[in-house]
Amino acid sequence: MRRSLLALGVLLILCGLAPVSPALATTPSELFQGGNSLYEQGKFRDAAEAYEKILGYGVADPRVLYNLANAYFKLGRLGPAILNYERALRLDPSDQDARDNLELARGQIRDRIEDAEVPYPVKVMQDHLDTVPPDSLSAVFLCLYVITCGFVACLPLTSGEGRRRLLGYAAAATGVLALLAGGALVEAIQSRTAERAIVMTDRVDVLSGPSAENTVLFTVHEGTRLEVRNRRDGWYQVSLPNAMSGWIPSGMVERV
Amino acid sequence: MTPRRTALAIVIAVLIAALLGVDPAAAQDVGVRARVDSTSVVEGGQVVLTVEISGPSLGEVAPPDVSGITDFDIVGGPMTSNRFQWINGRTSATRTYSYALRPRQTGSQRIPSLGLLVNGRTYRTEAIDVEVAPAGSAGPPGAPQAAPPGGGIRGGPGRSQGITRPQPAPADAPQVRIVADVDERTAYIGQQVTLRVLLDTQTEILNLGMKDTPTFPGFWAEEIKLPENLEQRRVQRGPESYSEYTLMKRALFPTGTGTLMIPGLTYQIQVRRRSQDPIESFFFTPTETITRRTEPIAIHVQPLPAAQRPEAFSGAVGNFTLSVTADRRESQVNDAVGVKVKVAGEGNLNAVNALPLPDLSDFKQYAPKVSASTSVAGDRMLGEKIWDYVLIPLAPGSQAIPPVRFSFFDPKAGVYRSVASPAIPIQVARGPEGSAGGTVGGVVQSDVRQLRRDIHFIKQAPDGLMDRSRPFYRSRWFAVLILLPVAADFGVFVFSRTRHSQRANARQRRERRARTMARRRLKDAHRRMAPATARAFYAEVARALTEFVAAKFDTSGAGLTHDRIEDFLASRGAPDEERRQFHRCLEACDYARFAPASSGSEEMRRTLQEAEEIIVRLERSLST
Repeated sequence: MRRSLLALGVLLILCGLAPVSPALATTPSELFQGGNSLYEQGKFRDAAEAYEKILGYGVADPRVLYNLANAYFKLGRLGPAILNYERALRLDPSDQDARDNLELARGQIRDRIEDAEVPYPVKVMQDHLDTVPPDSLSAVFLCLYVITCGFVACLPLTSGEGRRRLLGYAAAATGVLALLAGGALVEAIQSRTAERAIVMTDRVDVLSGPSAENTVLFTVHEGTRLEVRNRRDGWYQVSLPNAMSGWIPSGMVERV
Repeated sequence: MTPRRTALAIVIAVLIAALLGVDPAAAQDVGVRARVDSTSVVEGGQVVLTVEISGPSLGEVAPPDVSGITDFDIVGGPMTSNRFQWINGRTSATRTYSYALRPRQTGSQRIPSLGLLVNGRTYRTEAIDVEVAPAGSAGPPGAPQAAPPGGGIRGGPGRSQGITRPQPAPADAPQVRIVADVDERTAYIGQQVTLRVLLDTQTEILNLGMKDTPTFPGFWAEEIKLPENLEQRRVQRGPESYSEYTLMKRALFPTGTGTLMIPGLTYQIQVRRRSQDPIESFFFTPTETITRRTEPIAIHVQPLPAAQRPEAFSGAVGNFTLSVTADRRESQVNDAVGVKVKVAGEGNLNAVNALPLPDLSDFKQYAPKVSASTSVAGDRMLGEKIWDYVLIPLAPGSQAIPPVRFSFFDPKAGVYRSVASPAIPIQVARGPEGSAGGTVGGVVQSDVRQLRRDIHFIKQAPDGLMDRSRPFYRSRWFAVLILLPVAADFGVFVFSRTRHSQRANARQRRERRARTMARRRLKDAHRRMAPATARAFYAEVARALTEFVAAKFDTSGAGLTHDRIEDFLASRGAPDEERRQFHRCLEACDYARFAPASSGSEEMRRTLQEAEEIIVRLERSLST
């Protein structure tokens, strides 16, 4: 019995010392380590397979998505790279590395699409909000909301006009802040749940209707991000930030 | 002025004009026009802009001002050609300037109106619009890259494709023919195709000229100069013997792919006519002007292979050598070093825009001075392009100019070739102290420059992986934390209302029972209505009165002063008479309590009666 335990212990130690191979790895963490090791060896295709396998386990960790995007970028596949950077940023908008890499990848795609013009203060606010994780916004909103409710609860229990007035002002102030935080949270949720898709093929013709017989309106290329506005029988109605819109087969894009 | 004097003045004016070389008609008949070989081109392709100046005689002609061309890069030119014709005693001269233009972006681009100076007068061409289709698209119809499948003939109907045949001359026509030929019928884009136009004749040629200025749509054309005196060769064609002359040579570089046509060239030739009339033959020279046209030639142009295209390839097609030289191997900090990068060889180097030095962090690098030249060896165009860089060493020590790489496509072998120069070591010494501003210890500080960009590296997960697909705002806890404070507020509200209601009930009950309690106290006072218990009697009456007011106003009877009672009663609108009666009764009680000797039974009975009366009246007035 003691010998068996000893042998098992030695085996475990050896397993711990040996480099993790994705083929033998069984847990997401082992697969992640194996994928990183392959990436460092320049085996980007194998690394991407390992990261994809982790996602198959249902572990949507932003670091896995980020590394997967890096592997695709190194393979020259801009569509999957941009898709996974977008997904990583949805889970962790504060990841500046992912934001930088996404910008670099977007700079290499064929289509150059100008964003719709927004006033500068709005853009600054949007840019800042884009980097705040929704969980942080949720926490701030909840704190302000609970404090406001606390002030409101104290009002009927307080005697004296002065104290009641002070409590009223405090409740109003925290209430306004809670409303602002709530608005930001709603905006962040809308931004993260907006239906977007990335072009995954070399080029796609955007048609005027959901069938191949329709007129080709314009062409988009791999890596371009589209807003999905409608769906119908294997077709997506998509639009660009510059208001151009049309229909494409759903198989040509991947939703973020 | 007499007619003789007028005629003399005219003669003198004409003589002066002739001496000064001024042709009064010349300036008026000058025609200027611009044209392109194709008004549609695909992205990355080229169009050839030709500016043509024609007139009876051309004096000083300045090249057109092309600084206004902003939608295109000028990748070649100007190529100048001159033509002079004497037809039926009238002369005409034509000068053309040709430029190879590459569009900077897709869409509708414009070559603006160009100004040029001819004999001191400014002329302007018409603006030309060029449609630029994106690369990889089918391209607009007529674009050089979008030749129709099978290769259409651009020369027009009735011309055979790609076959150069001499035209059959009429039986009695002079035996003169003009043949156009090329050295390559199949070429890569950018590869030189040499066009040669030959004249075969059995008769004497008196004069010869081209009917139109030759244009080669889809090609960048360079003139190969011929000797001033045409060389005559004797050739045997079947039984016939001919004199052969080379009339024209052009180096053509295809700018698009597909089947491109070299159009036919039309010549007007003045030859000696055979006359049956011996007198005419003896005294005159009978002549005849005949027209000959070459056949169009189809050139099949293939694109450069996409496979194994080097990163450094910038469009050079031919066979080139690269040399990089530095004007010194030893220098000092801040002492300029000249580096010359030279590419030379057979082919067209116009497509090569820049041959930058690798990033040199220890040198300050200025934009190079670029010079290019072309020459001809045999029928082949030789190109040479030189980039003169000035480098300023920023740091002392053993520095090196790393190898410069240049790639080109060798059309003969059909492969890409890359050449690299060896690294050039430069020994940089410290400059003299204080020789340059901003130096400390001989080192010049400079901004850190980003050499290249790449993605950030992959991330590790030392704390393990975690599924974060479900954000906090979608969890149950978030909903609980949203609902909990609202529920707490509601609970507090209910509790507060209940407590308030209970208090209000107690006050109402006390108020309702105020008169009963006062009557009970007055009964007790009645029992003590005797001189011996006068003090207790008055005390009980006073308590009955104050307790009545205290109950009515839900306050404590202890410490209820006259003033507060007055405030309470006034606040509820008790009449003045009743308030005065109340205070009088209460003061009487107070007085009697502290001076009992002065009060008898009758006094006590009246006080009791008055107290009962005022309580009844107040009860009525306070209830309304």
